[in-house]
Amino acid sequence: MAEEKKKHKKRRTATEAAASIGPMVKEFISGTLRAKEEGRKVAFTFIVCLYDEILRAMDILPVWTENFAGICGAKRDAERFLERSESLGLSRSLCTYALCGIGFDQWREELGEMPPDAPWGGQVRPDMMLSSGQILCDPRNKWYQASQLYMPDVPVYNIDLPYPLYEDDVEFTDVRDYYVKHIIEELRGLVAFLEKQTGTKMDYDRLSETVDLGERTWNLIWETYDLRRAVPTPMGTGDAMNTMVPMCFMMGTQEAYDFFLGLNKELKEKVARKEGVVEDEKYRLLWGGGLPSWFALSDFNYFNSKGAVFPAETTYRMIESMYQIYMPDTNDPIERLAWRWFGYWVFWHNKARKRPGSHPDVEWLIQYIEDYKIDGIVMHEAFSCRTWHLGLIWQLNQLAKIYKPIPVLVLGKDGKKEKTNRELPSLVLESDIIDITTYSEVDTRNRIDAFIETLESVAKSKVH
Amino acid sequence: MNEKNSDIFSRIESYYSDYGQRAKELKNEGKKIIGYVCSFIPLEIITAAGCVPFRMRGDIHEPITKGNINLETIACPFYRSCFDLSVKGRYDFLDGSIVAHACDSMARTYAVWKYTLDLPYSHFVNLPHTLSKSSMEFFNEELNTFRKSLGGFAGKEISDDDLAEAIGLYNENRDKVKALYELRKPDPPIISGTELTKILTVGASLPVAEANQLFDEVLEELGKRKESPLKKVRRIMIDGACVDNIELVKLIEDLGGNVVIDTLCNGTRDNLPHTDIGGDPVSALADRYLNKINCPRTYRENKEQDLHKDLESRFGDIGFYAREFKADGAILYVYKYCDPFGFEVPARKAYFDSIKLPLLYLEDEYSAGTIGQLKTRIQAFLEMLG
Repeated sequence: MAEEKKKHKKRRTATEAAASIGPMVKEFISGTLRAKEEGRKVAFTFIVCLYDEILRAMDILPVWTENFAGICGAKRDAERFLERSESLGLSRSLCTYALCGIGFDQWREELGEMPPDAPWGGQVRPDMMLSSGQILCDPRNKWYQASQLYMPDVPVYNIDLPYPLYEDDVEFTDVRDYYVKHIIEELRGLVAFLEKQTGTKMDYDRLSETVDLGERTWNLIWETYDLRRAVPTPMGTGDAMNTMVPMCFMMGTQEAYDFFLGLNKELKEKVARKEGVVEDEKYRLLWGGGLPSWFALSDFNYFNSKGAVFPAETTYRMIESMYQIYMPDTNDPIERLAWRWFGYWVFWHNKARKRPGSHPDVEWLIQYIEDYKIDGIVMHEAFSCRTWHLGLIWQLNQLAKIYKPIPVLVLGKDGKKEKTNRELPSLVLESDIIDITTYSEVDTRNRIDAFIETLESVAKSKVH
Repeated sequence: MNEKNSDIFSRIESYYSDYGQRAKELKNEGKKIIGYVCSFIPLEIITAAGCVPFRMRGDIHEPITKGNINLETIACPFYRSCFDLSVKGRYDFLDGSIVAHACDSMARTYAVWKYTLDLPYSHFVNLPHTLSKSSMEFFNEELNTFRKSLGGFAGKEISDDDLAEAIGLYNENRDKVKALYELRKPDPPIISGTELTKILTVGASLPVAEANQLFDEVLEELGKRKESPLKKVRRIMIDGACVDNIELVKLIEDLGGNVVIDTLCNGTRDNLPHTDIGGDPVSALADRYLNKINCPRTYRENKEQDLHKDLESRFGDIGFYAREFKADGAILYVYKYCDPFGFEVPARKAYFDSIKLPLLYLEDEYSAGTIGQLKTRIQAFLEMLG
């Protein structure tokens, strides 16, 4: 493993903004350690938790435990924490983010100090742990409960954040009222818990300002990412795996807004100069699902070396344009958060209903394929995460069934060539988010090579 | 074994080995058959709609093949087996399927089931994870949405009286299951774990009124057993999710243990909790399914920040049943890729340790291919118990 760490080189980014993320994340980690020493309240929590702005408005410092596990993975230093979790009785088949986090926390509790050579100073002992499960992710519902076995004095608060699945006979508008009502109640329960933990009452004017800033940031991100439609694309998914940091870890802060202002400016300049991720852009790919292997982000560079770029991804695209999300006339910041959440998760329902055989997840892919002029789709199946990875194969199969955008000539029954349409080529990579033992660089790159050959072949047979 | 005894048990054997035969007959008679997999499906609503709920099983002897075309191998292996059998046509008599938000394997693959099987009806019941007042109200609304949706499919408005009647039938069913469990208390038990697994599995494939009648016949026959057919050996508890094939239980019993109690989905977890009667039937169902079914997918708050009390609140039923049925040892049996149970293994171990019940933890793959490994470990465990 030491050799593996030594050999691993830093990934090249296309944008300066993406390159600035590393130090920012390092500062998160050391910032939480400093904050703890200064007596500030720190809370374990998860990205896409909806209540970022609530934490910011109450000066509670979030510790993004998935992020710390991802850092361990990116530094190729997760294995010892995974092994520790296994020794506690936790199966390697479970979410490896959680296993890494629990293994680290248990080790720190046992030692009474950070484990030796803890990545970037280590993960701080929290004052509270905020779960947020419901339909999004089982490990979010179980992780902190499991951690509490080793930190019994640290309170856990778990909230429901439901959204409805797509049905034939039930529209989301049929259930919207009681979904939103429940989310609002859950958020109010969280605020009451946080007030008790901090001994401070929520300042709702401040929360309103923070939510407002969050909504403006959503719109800014949407506008900024939309610039990637340009040909050549000025930014790829590899960089987006960096720029997800201010989107997912800093929502409701001025820093996040300013970051995307900077990225927006940078992308506009690149577009004006026609400066792409690669000099000769041959293939435009959609990262259509799956969390990345944090230890192998340089695979994006490998794609680039073949002239393939990723102008869009569905992973970590955790925003939509607020202009397109239904928001009732309310000034209550808690209600605004609840409506935003609901609106985001049902965003593609109406569009899916208009296309026979479609589904919101498939419709999302189709929209991006068209908006970003996509030639092929790549997905990643991370073996330890059911949340984001179950259903991906079906999505590809269903997409191929209902959407064939590429006109090609094929040999007909009478021996003559006839025009038909075919589906987009796709590639499913297999590994994990942080468990490097599941990854083979040689195999992965062989598969990428084969996929590039398919793209070449399809491009040649395409009827223009 | 007299003739009648032979008759009822051979009928059970027939229903078990040709699983779904009665559902096929009912389908031919014009009944709508609604498939489900998990304990969180409110069967009373399906019955009240005039449909027949049918618990789908996996098959540990059937390799998963066609199911892999659309469903990732990282899903719960039990659930994958059920899906694979469905794709292969084992359950082609179904008119619909209901999926509950029990876990990621179910929730995240709802579209996979819905679109691949393309049954005339499907519905997803979204359970909250928490037990707050708001969660109960939400679930109440969600059950009413399901009630309306299924009523639309069945062509019947499901009234409160329909629900009350169905609740009565299921409560009766649970009383009979409890009576069957009582027969496990003597040492040696009057009924083996293998027999009971078959009986309960078969019961879940029948309309509740028929299951009630079947259980009555079984109880009558078992009441005539003057002597237990079993030996007085170590008494074993199984803790875990759904074990709907007899092989694990039979293996333990063949190796010289008596399986006397469980906290499994198709055992006490699902079959024993009653629905309250007399009030609003939907609220009572919401309470039964969300609050009374003790599954790790539902978060039970550690209100007093006390580890011992937390373990007792989450796993107290294990201790209760272990004492009631005088278990000598327990097997915690968890499927690979099961996040809800998997993350609880250290806490469950701690609980078993606290009640001083020797424990064997097994992670398995829902495949007959692992029986050899299981045999070695279970044998060693039974030897250790002495």
